[in-house]
Amino acid sequence: MSERTVRDGGATPRSNLRRDASRDPRHSGDGAIAPQRHDDPALLAVDDLHVEFDTYGGVVKAVRGVSFSVRAGKTLAIVGESGCGKSVTVQSIMGLIPMPPGRITSGTAMLDGIDVIQQKVVEGEDIRGSRIGMIFQDPMSSMNPTMTVGDQIAETLEVHRGYTRSQAAARAVELLGMTHIPEPAERAKQYPFAFSGGMLQRAIIAMAIACEPDILIADEPTTALDVTIQAQILDLLDELQATTGMAIILITHNLGVVARLADDVAVMYAGQIVEKGSSEELFHQCAHPYTLGLRAAMPGNDPTREQGLQAIEGTPPDMFDPPRGCSYFARCPHAMRLCEANLPERFEVTPHHYSSCWLQHPASPQEVPGLYRGAAA
Amino acid sequence: MFRYTVKRLIQGVITVWFIATATFIAMHSVPGDPLSGERLTNEEIRANLEARYGLDRPLFEQYLIYMGNMTRGDFGISFTQQNRRVNDIIREHFPVSATLGILAVVFAALGGILWGALTALFRNRLPDVVIMFLVILGISVPSFVVAGLSQLGLTSLNALFGVSILPVAGWGTLLHMIVPSLVLGLGTMAFLTRLMRSSMLEIINADFVRTARSKGLPPTRIFLKHQLRNAILPVITVLGPAIAAITTGGFVVELVFAIPGLGRYFVQAVQQLDYTVIMGTTVFYGAFLVFMVILVDLVYGFIDPRVRLE
Ligand SMILES: Nc1ncnc2c1ncn2[C@@H]1O[C@H](COP(=O)(O)OP(=O)(O)OP(=O)(O)O)[C@@H](O)[C@H]1O
Ligand code: SF4
Ligand SMILES: [Mg+2]
Repeated sequence: MSERTVRDGGATPRSNLRRDASRDPRHSGDGAIAPQRHDDPALLAVDDLHVEFDTYGGVVKAVRGVSFSVRAGKTLAIVGESGCGKSVTVQSIMGLIPMPPGRITSGTAMLDGIDVIQQKVVEGEDIRGSRIGMIFQDPMSSMNPTMTVGDQIAETLEVHRGYTRSQAAARAVELLGMTHIPEPAERAKQYPFAFSGGMLQRAIIAMAIACEPDILIADEPTTALDVTIQAQILDLLDELQATTGMAIILITHNLGVVARLADDVAVMYAGQIVEKGSSEELFHQCAHPYTLGLRAAMPGNDPTREQGLQAIEGTPPDMFDPPRGCSYFARCPHAMRLCEANLPERFEVTPHHYSSCWLQHPASPQEVPGLYRGAAA
Repeated sequence: MFRYTVKRLIQGVITVWFIATATFIAMHSVPGDPLSGERLTNEEIRANLEARYGLDRPLFEQYLIYMGNMTRGDFGISFTQQNRRVNDIIREHFPVSATLGILAVVFAALGGILWGALTALFRNRLPDVVIMFLVILGISVPSFVVAGLSQLGLTSLNALFGVSILPVAGWGTLLHMIVPSLVLGLGTMAFLTRLMRSSMLEIINADFVRTARSKGLPPTRIFLKHQLRNAILPVITVLGPAIAAITTGGFVVELVFAIPGLGRYFVQAVQQLDYTVIMGTTVFYGAFLVFMVILVDLVYGFIDPRVRLE
């Protein structure tokens, strides 16, 4: 459990350095994989989440039994192709699924003993904005065009922390400074349209961390920005995590981003998590054919790869009528007869590293090059 | 912003000049003149009168004289109402029309915003269906029909209770104003409701509203500060034309409810070709509307920061 320090507003607004940055286990080793210590208790634990949407074409089963946990102060990346349910997953936690047409049919997300899917308000305070902050893909459309940037940041502090207008305004300027926006006092008085995309994303980050949340959810925070700006935003997230000690759930379909920022990774395919483990494990002991495919499709310098870029052939399955067996069956180059009708179990590759693939079954006959076979196999 | 205001004002003055000129030309191309209604047996008397009113001068000279007087704020003397200055007619009767119009505009704007937001929030459910049905009625039934029907309704209402709850016609007290201004604003309110509904539907699931929810703001704050404030913008842009529609629509309502507004004099003047009254009321209304539209645009610029910049 995280220490919830200073929640009493005005007294010490500069309490953002509340946790020590005991971090970066991921760059510690010398290439060899040190056994990961995952014994930190989960800050947020999502269990068996199912989300559906009613559409004219039928019921879309967007998320089908997703479970994961977020460790305090660590970054969990959720990766997967477009439409696999990444946004729906985190929006369910934040209560942002439009209902109708959406429906959360089952699942819990426990934060400090409270299921935030059922209960958004704890002791009179909405956990959104105070304990979990969120930033979105397109900064330009994510801010209210008729309110100044400073007011939009201040608003969160007024609502959650009971700051007065002037306290909140002053803190908003500090927050803009923390996200390295030049001349924050002038900028706070401007409207979103006067900002560039990158600057606005910084301001949105400032807004999301205003109340020092335990978790920051970032849904593809750099996709709408150009490459140099992308890198700066990622650096900023990294830096803020080091100073505030918040956990980050980072959604991306860029494995380069994952390699750079993530401690843990969940790979999603067709509404399910197919592989989950630490960042090193997923890159060096990849245990699912889909993750292998994603890696082969990743541009950049993956030292473990010999051949050139390879897109995964085919398209994800129809979510109106998801496959009975392994959802990757139709595209998997290593598919076996068993896979078509039987949902793969969740095999433990190493402690805290799971793969939902029959190849991990001890009786599996196949040896796939590049695919790690876990202890069970 | 200052330069913009000045620019708009100059444009406005040019527009009013154009209205005045067009009215002058149109008026003089209608056969007859204000004096042809009178029984002037004597050619000499007619010539005298023409000389007195300047009607014997060449048309262009009349135009110059008229424009000259107008820039000094003098609209001249009525042809048909002896010795009554047009300025006095306007001063006396315009406040009545303006009161009626302002009440109608306020009613239409508030109603349109309220009903529009409500229908959007209850999209495709009962309140939405019922209100949108009424809106279609409000748009398609002409105001003189609504005016007549509401008078009929008032008469039976008063008969039912045996006392006069609301006056059926006339002017004077606030009670007199309620029904006519409701009737006058109804069509515009229906139109604004439809506009507000579609604008609100666009905003309801906008990205920045999702952001506001992710900040854990109370629903009322999200509604007022994030949804309503943005959804209102298109409504404000059409408020200028809406004021125009209501003001001109006022002529009919004034007639039906026997309200002593300026509209009645305008209609009368056109029938009698009372040159000075036609010119005076037209130019006055024209100027009023042009500057209302400018005012609305300036207010819009105040609410939408993106416009304010340019
Ligand atoms: N409001 C909605 N109505 C109907 N279907 C929806 C809605 N929102 C999401 N879906 C469906 O849920 C599925 C998952 O969508 P989601 O947005 O989570 O994908 P994603 O993994 O975030 O993709 P991307 O990388 O493109 O953002 C999609 O198939 C989409 O069609
Ligand atoms: S379960 Fe079968 S089809 Fe699915 S990923 Fe593994 S091998 Fe491929
Ligand atoms: Mg998404």
